[in-house]
Amino acid sequence: MTHGGSLYELGLRCWLVFLLCVLSPCCEGGEPGRVVFSVGGAPNELDAWEELVKDFEKESGVSVELLRQPSDSAQQRQGLIVSLNGKLRNPDVFLMDVAWVGLFAHSEWLEPLRNIDPSPYFERVIEDVDTFRGELIALPVYMDGGLLYFRRDLLDAYEVGDFPSTWEELVSVSSKVQAKKREVEPGFYGFVWQGAQYEGLVCNFLEFAGSQGGFLFRDAQVILDTAENRRALHLMHDLIWKHGISPPNTYTEMREEQARTYFQEGQALFERNWPYAWKLHQADGSRVKGRVDIAPLPAPATGKSMSTLGGWHIGVSRFSDAKENSLKFVKYVASYEGQKKMILRLGWNPGRRDLYEDQDLLREMPFLKKLAVIFLNARSRPVIPYYTQVSDVSQRWINAVLADRVEPHKALQNAEEEIAALLERYTTK
Amino acid sequence: MPVKQNRSEGDRADAFGFMFPILFFMSALIMVPVLGTLADSLYRDVTYLPRKFIGLENYLALANDPAFWKSLRFTFLFVAVSVPIEVCLGLCMAMVVNEAFPFRGFVRATLLIPWAVPMAVSGRVFELIFNYSYGAANFLLHVFDLSREPVNWLGSEIGAFAALVVTDAWKTTPFAAIILLAGLSSIPGELYEQAKIDRASLVQRFFRLTLPMLKPVLIVAFLFRTIQALQIFDYIYVLTGGGPGGSTTSLSLFAYNHFASGDFGYGSAASVILFLIAMSLSTFYLAGGAVRRTL
Repeated sequence: MTHGGSLYELGLRCWLVFLLCVLSPCCEGGEPGRVVFSVGGAPNELDAWEELVKDFEKESGVSVELLRQPSDSAQQRQGLIVSLNGKLRNPDVFLMDVAWVGLFAHSEWLEPLRNIDPSPYFERVIEDVDTFRGELIALPVYMDGGLLYFRRDLLDAYEVGDFPSTWEELVSVSSKVQAKKREVEPGFYGFVWQGAQYEGLVCNFLEFAGSQGGFLFRDAQVILDTAENRRALHLMHDLIWKHGISPPNTYTEMREEQARTYFQEGQALFERNWPYAWKLHQADGSRVKGRVDIAPLPAPATGKSMSTLGGWHIGVSRFSDAKENSLKFVKYVASYEGQKKMILRLGWNPGRRDLYEDQDLLREMPFLKKLAVIFLNARSRPVIPYYTQVSDVSQRWINAVLADRVEPHKALQNAEEEIAALLERYTTK
Repeated sequence: MPVKQNRSEGDRADAFGFMFPILFFMSALIMVPVLGTLADSLYRDVTYLPRKFIGLENYLALANDPAFWKSLRFTFLFVAVSVPIEVCLGLCMAMVVNEAFPFRGFVRATLLIPWAVPMAVSGRVFELIFNYSYGAANFLLHVFDLSREPVNWLGSEIGAFAALVVTDAWKTTPFAAIILLAGLSSIPGELYEQAKIDRASLVQRFFRLTLPMLKPVLIVAFLFRTIQALQIFDYIYVLTGGGPGGSTTSLSLFAYNHFASGDFGYGSAASVILFLIAMSLSTFYLAGGAVRRTL
């Protein structure tokens, strides 16, 4: 064979490989009846899923493929949106953050979960989040809600009483303890929470605002510029700029993990975070091990404590090519035994209400009792299809207030205007 | 004559045959997405609403969207500040390593390191530098006793902007330097000797000889850097997330945010605007200098 001939052949092969790569998405599919389950998370969470999938395969004879996703939830959402918008047959089953369920449901991407009894779950959650046009479209696998973590040892040492139930108390206790503690630890702050420009900021805002009687969305209308919301924003702003009990990087860097590590380093008295932080605060090597306790978030003297509902819900794609088996898998994941297995391994908070009375779980995680009460009162973010956009706009303006760049009144007004323009775009026929 | 004609037609057919694969790839990989985006931008393409042709409504909505104008302003400002800094520093670097000195090859290779580091990685590195509680920048302030309180670098509009420019300059100055170095080394040494004989000073040699000779390459460097800077996304995503208060949202982050929240039509319209800006700036640069020769 001549040199030119082999080159020609090589070119031809490359060409064929290229064609295969280009055309393969058109004939994706694989084994019929095989369930493709898309899930993201920390490595230990994925390992736990892997194990649960194996148990299910043994029990049912259905094969499941785990499609590992990045742990960043915005990237997970982006990935799912692209596959579902393209009506791909895979993934069949996926986990959704509670904040996306509205978008997915309104896009008609979710297959109704027939023949599943939702009564063992939190009624409010099923009603507000998982029911769409009268049908069950998702189930909570894991529940979350904002909590106040506090340093029991410091409250005792400085004799400032029990944990604060109002924001005013939180400010005064923080200022007192912070002033004294700074004599030995100059970087000490009273209260850390999530103020960076991202979804977590909206969760925090809804708690500050909700406890004042404020809201983001009511009667199918976004109403932001209210006295309650202004009060909440003033409070958030003042925690950083006036009272100085929240660090200056609250609005640039503070996300869940930054707040958690700050608190865990012993550098803060109070922390707003999700329940996941508990296990880490109490782990060996944590500087606050055995000194932490949890409580509901404070409220104004006349208000009621509010916790933003978080968590992950499981659903089946309407474009799935294995709906029967997918439903079987969802039933298994959402079952008493299935959830119990995951929870014992990961320390998650069950999506099922009946598990909060399970003796085995309570022995391992005694604080579940307190959490059940908080979840009962937790409020979901507005379950509307364009929630992400509403959240994007709100994040930007709330963050601008925290950065001391805009007055709360002006910020809320601007956000309201932007959202109104957005809604107009979506509602014109 | 007719024979020659035939041959040239045959050549043309041959040439087309040779070019066909690359033309095919280019159209498949570049033109299809560009045209697809253009088409998408004319639709209301929101995941939870029926797809509908709406003409230029997305563009009209963009024109009325203060967030869009803000991101446009930021993007232009970023290009206007970062590109000249990068090209000037790159020119200095290039002139230094164009001189003969020991270990020149080694120095040239190390210059390229920042450019070889992936953007997301160098973004994380600079995040560690500018971090409020444990960042290297605040550590240095503390060590040299320059400030009693740590500085919240990314907390003000100007601080976040400056941090992004510094990060981008660190990363892309070597790129400009390499392009300019190629230009410098193609200037014949005899010209400098001649200039020295004519007693031209160092400054005169730079402004009268180096700069004019380098003009086409400088334009290429400006062009490449401008197009890349217009698309700035990675650093912002990692360092500021578009904050504080949305002040560092670039046009591509703006488009991405809309894609990510399920509005493909609006995101596409913003991308098309970005594309048009890059196109017209390129045309402007190319028309502004005799670049065709060097390309």
